[in-house]
Amino acid sequence: MSTPTHDHPQPTDPENPETASAPESGGPSSGGSAAGGPSSGASGGPASIGPADMDEPPKGGSFLGYLLRKLGGAAVSMILVVVLGFFAFRMLPGDPVLKIAKERPMSPAQIAELRSQYGLDKPVIVQFWDYLVGILTGDLGESYVYRKSVAALIGEYIGPTLLLTATAAVIAIALGLWLGQLSAWRRNSLFDKLASSTSLVFWSVPTFWLGLILLMIFGGTLQWLPTGGMVTPGLEPWSFAAVIDVIRHLILPVVSLVAVVYAQFLMVMRASLLEEMNEDYLTTARAKGLTEDEVRRRHAVPNALLPTVTVVFLHIGGLIAGAVTVEAVFSWPGLGKLTFEAIRGPDLPLLQGTFVVFSAIIIVMNLAADLVYRWLDPRIRRA
Amino acid sequence: MTDLRFDDVSITYRSSSATRGDVIAVSGVSLDLPSGATLGIAGESGSGKSTLIMSALRLLPKSARLDGQVLLGGKDLKELSFGQIRAVRWAQASIVFQGALHSLNPVREVGGQIIEALEHHAKDTWTSPEKRKARMLELLTEVDLDRSKAAAYPHELSGGQKQRIMIAMALACEPDIIIADEPTTALDVIVQKQILSGLASLVAERGISLLMISHDLAVLSSVCENLAIMRHGRLVEYGPSDRVCLEPAEEYTKQLAGAFPQIGDPESRMNPRTLKPAEVTRAQPLTMSDEVVLEAKNLNVSFDTRQGRERAVRGVDLALRRAEILAVVGQSGSGKTTLARSLLGLQEVDPGSQLSFQGQALPRKAKALRTFRRQVQMILQDPSGSLNPKRSVYEAVVEGLRVQKIKDREYERVIGALEAAELTPAADYLESIPQELSGGQRQRVVIAGALALDPQVLIADEPVASLDASVRGEILSLFLALKKNLGMSALIITHDLGLAWNIADTVAVMRKGEIVEYGEVDSVLADPQHEYTKELLAAVPRLGSQSLVRNE
Repeated sequence: MSTPTHDHPQPTDPENPETASAPESGGPSSGGSAAGGPSSGASGGPASIGPADMDEPPKGGSFLGYLLRKLGGAAVSMILVVVLGFFAFRMLPGDPVLKIAKERPMSPAQIAELRSQYGLDKPVIVQFWDYLVGILTGDLGESYVYRKSVAALIGEYIGPTLLLTATAAVIAIALGLWLGQLSAWRRNSLFDKLASSTSLVFWSVPTFWLGLILLMIFGGTLQWLPTGGMVTPGLEPWSFAAVIDVIRHLILPVVSLVAVVYAQFLMVMRASLLEEMNEDYLTTARAKGLTEDEVRRRHAVPNALLPTVTVVFLHIGGLIAGAVTVEAVFSWPGLGKLTFEAIRGPDLPLLQGTFVVFSAIIIVMNLAADLVYRWLDPRIRRA
Repeated sequence: MTDLRFDDVSITYRSSSATRGDVIAVSGVSLDLPSGATLGIAGESGSGKSTLIMSALRLLPKSARLDGQVLLGGKDLKELSFGQIRAVRWAQASIVFQGALHSLNPVREVGGQIIEALEHHAKDTWTSPEKRKARMLELLTEVDLDRSKAAAYPHELSGGQKQRIMIAMALACEPDIIIADEPTTALDVIVQKQILSGLASLVAERGISLLMISHDLAVLSSVCENLAIMRHGRLVEYGPSDRVCLEPAEEYTKQLAGAFPQIGDPESRMNPRTLKPAEVTRAQPLTMSDEVVLEAKNLNVSFDTRQGRERAVRGVDLALRRAEILAVVGQSGSGKTTLARSLLGLQEVDPGSQLSFQGQALPRKAKALRTFRRQVQMILQDPSGSLNPKRSVYEAVVEGLRVQKIKDREYERVIGALEAAELTPAADYLESIPQELSGGQRQRVVIAGALALDPQVLIADEPVASLDASVRGEILSLFLALKKNLGMSALIITHDLGLAWNIADTVAVMRKGEIVEYGEVDSVLADPQHEYTKELLAAVPRLGSQSLVRNE
C-alpha cells in the first residue's frame, strides 16, 4: 500500500541533487522537461536578468511521470491484494460444502458433485488461475449462499455503503479539521480544552456500543428515528418522501461513524497547525499587516493541511472498516453487512469479492491522497 | 517621511514557570533613526536585538511587556489600536526577514506573496489586480530577478533569490523605514555582496531609512552610517560606524570586531581571536608534514537530474597531509559538500576517480568502509540538528564507539574525547541533553563524538557558520589545538575566507565543481592568481568605511 511520499527537499543542501533524482522512477520519465515549467520564459523576459544562479535548485518533473509512477505503485498493491484475497480465505476454518451439507441431508455423491460444481475439487493452483481469469473478465464467481453472481451482489450493495461512508467521511473531515484548526489557534483556551476532550471521549467509545446506545435512545425510547434499514418499503423511489426517509435512516449510522472518527482528524490538524504556529513566515504575514484571521486562513492552515491530508486519506480506509460494524448494528443493506454474512458462510467467492472491492477503495483513496498532496504541496512537484 | 525612536525601551518576557521568573530581553535602550538614516545593531544571539526591532512594529508575543516608548513618526505605538497598527505595518515600516530560511510561505507562489502586501496597503495606488501584478513584476526587476520567478515557489529558488524576493516584498508599499533582520546570514560572500549593495542602493535612491541587525560587524559597517552594539539587552556602544569599528571604546566591541578577521592581517593568521583559546599541551606543537593521509585524484561525481547528467565535481585533485588543515572554499552550489561526501565514501563517484587513504584505495564494501570511517570522521554544520535532542552527551559521544564495536575503556574514552574537545570538567556534562547546552558546547559535543574514535582525519562542513562570533573563535582555536596536540588532519568546507585565514595551512578554491586555485593560504589569499579568488576576496566585507555603499 503506498502512502503519500514526504520526500521534502532538504532546504539546506542544494548541492545534493539526489533528492531530486528519485531512485524509484519506475514509470518511464519520458515527460522530461516538456511540462517542466517556464524554462522558455528566458527569451521573453527583459534583459535585466540577474546573474545565472548556480545555487538555484533544479526544476521539478512532469505531472505525467508522477502520475504514471503512482499508478504503477497502485497497480502493484492491487495485484498483491488480489493474490492475498485468494489465499487468505482458503485458510479460514470451516468447509463451505460441509456447511451446506449440514443444512440438508446429502449423499457423498451429491457432496462431491457440489464440490466439482464450485470447482473446489481442482488443485489450488488451477482454482487460483480460474480466479485470476475471473477477476480480469469481471466475473467474481457465484455466491454459495445467495446463489447469485458476486459481481451483481456487490453492485447491488455498494451504493448504500458509499452513501453511508461518504456522508460520514465528509462530515467527519469537515468537522475534525475545522475544530482542529480553531483549537490549535486558541491553544489552551476553554474552547480548545472542550473540543479536544469531547472528541477524545467519543474516540475511545466502541462504534457498535455507541450505535446501540443511539439506537436505544432515539430509535427505541424516543422513537424519533427509524431503527434499521435504509428505506421504508412501499415508498416511490426518488420521490421527495423517499429521499427524506433515506436521510432519516442515515442520521443514526452517520452520527455513530462520525463521532468515533472525527477526533483523529481534529488531533492531527491541531498538532500540525501547532507546529506551524512558530514558523517565520507567519511573522512575515503579520508584519505585512494581515489580521490574525487572515494569517490563519491564508498562511497557517494551507501548510498545516499537508500532513493532515495523509492521515485523512489513510483513515478513510478505517471508516470503511467501521462501516462493517455500523451496518450490522443498523441492518444497513451495504457491503459491510454483506461481508458480515459472507464470513459466517464462509462464502468464499463473496468474501474474495468484497475483500477485493474494499481493498481497491483504499488503494484508490491512497492514490487520490498522493495526487491531492502534489496539488497542495508544490515541493512534491520536484520529486 | 517618518522617523523611528526607541525611548528608554525595556522588554520583559513573563515566564509561565515560577522558577525561571521574568526574562529581561531588552533594558533601557534609547536609539534614534531619523528619516533617511542607516543604523546597524550588532550583537550575538540573546543580545535582545531581534526583540528590539520586533517592538518597532509591535510584533512581540503576548507574553512580552514593553516599558518606555517606541515612537514611529512621533506617535507612540502603544497608543495605536490594532487596526491602526496593521495599517502602519508594511505601509510605513516593512521588514526584510532572513528570507534564505523560512520567512516565505512554502506553499504559495512568491509573486502572490508580494501582491498580498499590496492588497492590504496600497489599494489606492495600485487599484486593480492587473496594476498590482504589474507593480509586482516591476519590483522583481528592481531586485534583479527574472519576471518568470513570480510563479516560483520558495523551494525552487536559491537562498540569494529568496532574499531578493524578501527585499522586493519590503519595497512593495513604498515604506519610509525598512528593517532588515540578518538579511545575509547563511548566504555566501558573493551573494551577500550583491544583496547588501542592492539593498543599500535601493534604500539610498528612495531616501528610505534602514535599520539593520546582524551578528557580523563587518556586514553592518559596510552599509550603515551608525552602529549600535548590544549585549545582554543593553546598549554597549553607539556611534558612527567607522569609529565603532576601527577605534572601539569597549572591550566587547573589540572582541566582536576581531571575531571576523581581516584577511591579510598577520596578527589573526593562525590565531583566531577568542577569550578562551584552546590549550596547546605539546611543548613542540605538531606542524604540517609531508605524509599524505587522504588523497583524491581526478575525482568526478555526476548526478542524474531531469535535465540529464550533471557533473557536480570535475577532475578534482586534492591531497591532505598529516597535521594539515585544508580549507575548501566556494559558493553554495560549487560542489564542495559533494566533494566532502565523496572523501568519506558516502557518495558514489564516477569511474576513473581515485580516492585513497594512507596509500590504499578507498574501500567499497560496507565492512571495510566501517573501519575506514573510524579513521575519518565528519562534523556537520548545525550542532543542534546533528545531535539527537533526546540523548545525553554521554550517549551522543559513545555512539560511534558502539557502532565500531569498541568495548574496552568506554567511559575513559568518552571522558578523554570530551576533554580533548575542551568540555571540562567532562564528568559534569555527561548527563546533559543538547537543549541544556549552548551552541558552542553542542558543537564541542559533536566534535567529541568524532574524536572518541581517535580518527586521523576530521572532515567538517561549515563547522562555525551557525555559531555566534565569540564562540566561533573558540571552536576554531580548538581545531588548531587538535592539529598541534594530536597531529589531526582536517578538511574544512566553508564559504568563509576568514576561517581559512584564521586556521588553515592550505586552501582550495572551488567553483562549479572545479578547483580553480589551490595552495598555501599565505600565498593564495595574499596574492590570488585566479579571477574568481580575487572576486571572492573582494566580496568579503571590510570593517568600517561603508565599503559597499561608497564604492558603488
